[in-house]
Amino acid sequence: MVRMDKKEIARLSFEEAIDQLRRIVERIEQGQVSLEESLQQYEMGMALIKHCRGILQQAEKRVETVSMDQQGSNQTPS
Amino acid sequence: MVSEPLPVYTPSQINALVRHILQDQLPGRLTVRGEIRDWKHHHSGHCYFLLKDQEAVLPAVMWANNFRTVRFRPADGMAVLATGFIDVYLAGGRYQLIVERLEPEGTGALQLAFQQMVARLRAEGLFEQEHKRPLPRYPMRIGIVTSPSGAALHDICEGIRGRWPVARLLFFPVPVQGEGAAEQIARTIAWINSNNDRLGLEILIVGRGGGSLEDLWTFNEEVLARAIYDSKIPIISAVGHEIDITIADLVADARASTPAKAGVVAVPDIREVMDQIEQYARRLTQQAVSRVQLAITQLEAIMANEVFSRPLTMIRLREQQVDELAMRSSEVLRVRLSRARQALEQYQTTVARIEPHRLIGHCALHVGELRARAIAGLTALISARKCQLEAAAARLEAMNPKAVLARGYSLTRNLRTGGIVRGLSDVEIADRLTTELADANTIESQVTAKYNRGGSRRGSDG
Repeated sequence: MVRMDKKEIARLSFEEAIDQLRRIVERIEQGQVSLEESLQQYEMGMALIKHCRGILQQAEKRVETVSMDQQGSNQTPS
Repeated sequence: MVSEPLPVYTPSQINALVRHILQDQLPGRLTVRGEIRDWKHHHSGHCYFLLKDQEAVLPAVMWANNFRTVRFRPADGMAVLATGFIDVYLAGGRYQLIVERLEPEGTGALQLAFQQMVARLRAEGLFEQEHKRPLPRYPMRIGIVTSPSGAALHDICEGIRGRWPVARLLFFPVPVQGEGAAEQIARTIAWINSNNDRLGLEILIVGRGGGSLEDLWTFNEEVLARAIYDSKIPIISAVGHEIDITIADLVADARASTPAKAGVVAVPDIREVMDQIEQYARRLTQQAVSRVQLAITQLEAIMANEVFSRPLTMIRLREQQVDELAMRSSEVLRVRLSRARQALEQYQTTVARIEPHRLIGHCALHVGELRARAIAGLTALISARKCQLEAAAARLEAMNPKAVLARGYSLTRNLRTGGIVRGLSDVEIADRLTTELADANTIESQVTAKYNRGGSRRGSDG
């Protein structure tokens, strides 16, 4: 079973994190997991949930305009 | 009779004269209806062909600069309306129709051009489902390719933000109609693809608001269709109104019927995603709690075992005796003691793993009143069990009477006094004794003599 520490979890994309979370829940629901492992997986699942919630709380308010000619970008409120 | 001499002309003069008469007599612009024959598109870009009806043919020429404005592809047998003027080809002595505008008869030129393009690109496989790239489920960086003026940009942005406000939006301004617009959009799509290491875009939305067929034509052009097809980043087309279908729609990886609907196609609804996460949290917590409950049940089963369940009175009765035995065989007992300590430590570890503060720490965040109460109950149960376990373990640490008996020791009692026989002073000659053996059988015996440590016989001095 996959084990990840907090740092590794923080680096996951939203999609990776929610996929990992789904796998943990499905596995733990199948049973046959030792007490120690189930608590360890529970902790990891909760860390993934925290990570996902954190991402969903960051709303973007601006649209960045990218100009092909300048190959640069600038921010404009939209 | 002498005739007036006939005027003599050169071929050039005649041709020039004919041209002058024709231009004088015929309308400056006229339209000819006919069927195309012998269509030739010369590499110079000029087109040469015949216009034909039942009885006659008329040579026709369309210069490259005029032909560039023709959207459909003329071919032999096609019924057309050709508008232009009649001119004389001086070098060839031939009059011909100089075509400035060519339109298919019946269907509109744009409609025909569209049908032809669809057929051609479909035959090439550009619209095949197998070439469609899958859209990412949770895009975090989205590129928008549309006009800086017009409502499309605003509609697309609002459509995304209303559902999925976490995505970063990058806007690439392009013209969306007129000469060169398709090329400009195609270049932008190619540029984004080659710079995507830096841009990190997961989806591109390419579109514009509603307009006439002519206005939307940019999105029917082949150069744009190929750029969309070649893009490695999945592209969602969002052109015009619901009823408008463009080539871009057909070749794109997904189609939004309008710019405002692009968000529905491109991004998930954040409320649904949050619900999903909360559901995972509930299921996870439920499973962890029930796993802990299972562990407690197992622990109870262990504690119901003999050593724990049997009254401790038997052990207490023999404590003193075993203390004595321990002094004599301290080495043996030290080994047993350390085993017992190990066992204790294991129990303590088991108990520690289901320590209440951990359980509460994790669970309290996520579940309501009901679970909190369940946890409190569990906690009390665990600490009660822990106390019991510690008490039992402390006993274990002190001794294991059965094991001691098993090594060959036995327990002897004076039947007269009922006391345990520890020394000479506990018995008198002729006292009857009962001895309990390791196998739980007993034997009875009688004291016939008493010897002290030195071997001298002791009489009835007790």
